[in-house]
Amino acid sequence: MRFPPSTPAIFLKIAAALAIHWLASNVSLLAQDARLVQTPQTQEDAKRHFRKHVVPFIQAYCIDCHQNSRPTEAGVNFSPAIHTPEHAAFTDQWKRAAARVAAHDMPPEGLEQPSDEERQMFVEWQKNIKYLSSKDPGPFVIRRLTKSEYANTLADLFGVDPEIAGSLPDEVSGAGYLNSISPLQLESYLAIAEKVLQQCAPVLQTREQSLTPETSEDGSADFPVTRLFSEFPAEQRSGPPREFAQKLLRLMFRRPASEQEINVSLDVFALAQKQDLSYDESLRLMVKAALVSPQFLFITPVEPQAAEKGAEKGAETEVGQKSELEGIVPLDNHQLASRLSYFLWASMPDEHLMRLADEGRLQQTDVLATQVERMLLSPKSRALFDGFGAQWLGLDDWQERTFDRSLFPQMNTEMRQAMYDEARLLFECVVRENKSVGALIDSDFTYLNGTLAEIYGVAGPLGDSLQKVKLENSNRGGVLTMPAVLAATSFPNRTSPVNRGVWVLEQILGENVPAAPPDVPPLEAETQDASQELTMRELTELHRKDPVCANCHKLLDPIGFGLENFDAIGRWREFDATNTPINASGTLPDGTSFSGPAELKAMVLGRKNDFARNFTGKLLAYALCRSLEGYDVIVLDRIMEHVAEKEYRLQEVVKAVVSSYPFTHRRIDTEN
Amino acid sequence: MHRTKLIDRRTCLRGVGAALALPLLDVMGWQEAKANHAYKPPVRIGFMYMPHGVIMDDFWPKDSEAFLSSPPAAVESLKPVLKECLMMKGISGVPTAPFNGAPHALELSTWLTATLPDPAKRSEINIAISADQIAANYVGAFTPLPSLELATMPQNWKENQAGLNEGYYSHCSYRSPTQVVPAETNPRNVLSRLFGQTGSGSESSDRDAAPTPISPLDRDMLDLVLGGARELRQKLPVSDKRKLDEYLDSVRSVERRIAAIEQRQKEAAMEKAGLRSDQRGADSPPIEIKIPDGDKRSEYMQVMCDLNVLAFQTDMTRVSTYIGSRPNGASYPELGFSDKHHSQTHHRGDKSKMEKVAKIVQFNIEQFAHMVKKMHSLREADGTLLDNCIMMWGSGLEDGDKHTRENLPFVVAGRGGGTLNTGRFLTDVQGNQGDLLTTLLTCAGIPLDRPIGIATKQIEALKA
Repeated sequence: MRFPPSTPAIFLKIAAALAIHWLASNVSLLAQDARLVQTPQTQEDAKRHFRKHVVPFIQAYCIDCHQNSRPTEAGVNFSPAIHTPEHAAFTDQWKRAAARVAAHDMPPEGLEQPSDEERQMFVEWQKNIKYLSSKDPGPFVIRRLTKSEYANTLADLFGVDPEIAGSLPDEVSGAGYLNSISPLQLESYLAIAEKVLQQCAPVLQTREQSLTPETSEDGSADFPVTRLFSEFPAEQRSGPPREFAQKLLRLMFRRPASEQEINVSLDVFALAQKQDLSYDESLRLMVKAALVSPQFLFITPVEPQAAEKGAEKGAETEVGQKSELEGIVPLDNHQLASRLSYFLWASMPDEHLMRLADEGRLQQTDVLATQVERMLLSPKSRALFDGFGAQWLGLDDWQERTFDRSLFPQMNTEMRQAMYDEARLLFECVVRENKSVGALIDSDFTYLNGTLAEIYGVAGPLGDSLQKVKLENSNRGGVLTMPAVLAATSFPNRTSPVNRGVWVLEQILGENVPAAPPDVPPLEAETQDASQELTMRELTELHRKDPVCANCHKLLDPIGFGLENFDAIGRWREFDATNTPINASGTLPDGTSFSGPAELKAMVLGRKNDFARNFTGKLLAYALCRSLEGYDVIVLDRIMEHVAEKEYRLQEVVKAVVSSYPFTHRRIDTEN
Repeated sequence: MHRTKLIDRRTCLRGVGAALALPLLDVMGWQEAKANHAYKPPVRIGFMYMPHGVIMDDFWPKDSEAFLSSPPAAVESLKPVLKECLMMKGISGVPTAPFNGAPHALELSTWLTATLPDPAKRSEINIAISADQIAANYVGAFTPLPSLELATMPQNWKENQAGLNEGYYSHCSYRSPTQVVPAETNPRNVLSRLFGQTGSGSESSDRDAAPTPISPLDRDMLDLVLGGARELRQKLPVSDKRKLDEYLDSVRSVERRIAAIEQRQKEAAMEKAGLRSDQRGADSPPIEIKIPDGDKRSEYMQVMCDLNVLAFQTDMTRVSTYIGSRPNGASYPELGFSDKHHSQTHHRGDKSKMEKVAKIVQFNIEQFAHMVKKMHSLREADGTLLDNCIMMWGSGLEDGDKHTRENLPFVVAGRGGGTLNTGRFLTDVQGNQGDLLTTLLTCAGIPLDRPIGIATKQIEALKA
């Protein structure tokens, strides 16, 4: 590994204080002196270890209170968990339990306490739960295109404005939701199909003289479907257009169509002919039918395959290999092409990808890697920021955010756009120039235009378009101190050190910050007006008087205050709204201190491994369209080992994700 | 394409297809008038939601007597129709463990399911069919739309509580345990969905008006596509099949809507030509819908309520769900303050915040009152439209400050065709939200083959 953990002891200890926390990386520290119990590395080992050590621990110290009974103590119940510890439902529970045991919160005072060795064993166990999971790529159920994927696909096929899909309802990410389709939506699909055809009718015409793309008069034939029309052989304009159907469906279904599917399309043609529609109109009805077909709206496999038993002879046998790989199959080439292109482009595969899929070469690692490079360099990869990057940075609802315009009159459309684009351009730069992910945290350049330069208080480039600008001030540069992110983690009228602290911990470092207890109001929102006389720091320090709040806030707040020099829209300031000098220094629970944003950034960068893992995990989840669980954690371990050697360069991260086992395989649930 | 074949496919799909072959109005309800005895209108059932609970002192009547004589401030707006309303204390919510950290993801998602999401599959949608969809499965076959789902705010709130799928945050209608029913937020789309065009009384331009009506050619084309999809289905593994069924289901309901609209047009033409006596002469004419220009929340909510009234009045559907506001993200500038609803509900006894919450609750009930008062003003058969409705307003929390769910707040309006004994406040019915839903659905004439969610009984005290 090129990037050994350097200084992160500070953060590691805090973890225990945080009580509910991602412990995986930390426990080794607790356990560094005595490795009493050998770490299990295989599924069998893990099971044996669990039975021999963990179950007795739970039975001795936990189960009396936390068992199947009503009410369960604190909602924690180990009765089912000791039978199926690997079940995703208990992942969080194990994490919490380990954290509480590590922090000596549990078992509670007054009850029998485990020895230090036992405690350590239990805490260490938490990071080995993953070894209980069988090798499993997870399900990849046929998936409906999201609104933006659908819109982009229409644009790629017909050259229409993606706005044409604007009438579809917005959707929330999450596997279950995306797959739903309502009657209303189908009607919208039908209406949108109609609109597309009306808009494109002038170019969806066959010609007396079929044209080659070079000779097309107006350039409008440069979209795949319009080209199909313009290249339609005039001499074939009488019989059933079988060849047309075949080409059309390959385009629109993103895979070769089956004989049956071609026949359905020809039936549609015949239907139109029977209604005395012209030849071209009949062809257009075929297009319309394809536009509302499930094979277009969903990503479907080529030759829908029944699960093949033992379809894969696994090369990797050391970890959690299921004896029978029942129902696990590699994605077919076209499915992989679609998965890849909807991941990186949020749109359909282009002809290049399709050809590789036709040739059956897309499963080859080197071919896949070359394609990733090509695709990331294409302007279409902007979708990766709009879909993934923006979500990760908390900018996905940026357009709807409200700002107090009396305080921040400059937050108009242009400014918002500039702020969003600044983040996007940095992300794209890291992607295209294949920089290390660390460059997202700290960079000595950014992108400014005249409008945004005002926020930075520098003489920036004039004009509207953003240009790369070298930064002299080490407090700037990187996503932590970027106006869009700073504003997105603020309230409409002022900053929120707590939101910023949570954001850094969760989005950057991958910590799991527990929500405030249910009956605790967010202090800040509450005292907005009443406590104007208190400074933000005094106000927030109220948190730490209450022991319930203090545990988390003594970690959150200093980080948030480290960014207090930036106001609610990201401008540098020395004084806050009450004209008190800003004090951006902070001390973390372990005594480490920093004096301002630059040092805070450096501290975060010191945990580059954690950041890289968090970032990669989120990217993998985005690529798979589901959250990570069980075996995925082992997959992520492997990816991290690999990309650490490649200095966490972003293209390497993407390549590792798309060639990973769960991305290239699917589990098929068999009938029963 | 022959109609008979269509029916075959639909029958395969859901088993209610046979009903479709008959003229819709002959099937149930209205057409009984034919033989000269008084017709009995069908019972319609509607649900309207507000998140984050109420200010208890402001919401609960002091006792059963005070309910009519001096109703609590929160339901002041319902005063003219209180005799048509029922309030009941003692309805507990679904216990939330192991999701104690997800009060707001659960308040809406459990509201009509009375069921917790499956903890083992929390990152997916996996809950239970909701009460409105159970009703739609039964009475939905008799109307052009099986059900109508409306919402004031887009259902895209992104917050993950206790690892629960984000969809739980903004959805209360579930067609199946794994399938949410998205709600419509644009009144124009609702109109076009109800009537296949921009509707009565609307003078707006058609520029952004949605879909052109579906042509018979499209219908036949869809039928071919549907056939193709069914062939595809046979070759897919079971989990994929389930996804495709959602598609097939939606095609089927589009087809049914087309058929129903055609049927209605035919009837209208016959009535116009005098070929058919107007048996519903006693009824009020359909209300007019005016789509507001501005973005005032009250006007917006009222047009959604009006659409609900119109849909019930014209029997376009008999089941509706309106998410008047979703948990988190809502504010009410109209009330003179810009604070978010959620932040004010954590008032910890602070008077000024409690006042704001009380105002928000009043505001929401006012919109509900607007709807039921309109229903009360419309004549239908021997009584009013409201007489034949069951309109449930409520929230998924009692006290938004502490997230309690011991006495969920509900107001039920309408007599359910004479099945509910209204004009009362019941001080302790000792039931849960599943019991309430089970009772209301039964009153709406929906035969249930099992209790809804955590229900163990019906609440007989509500019934007439």
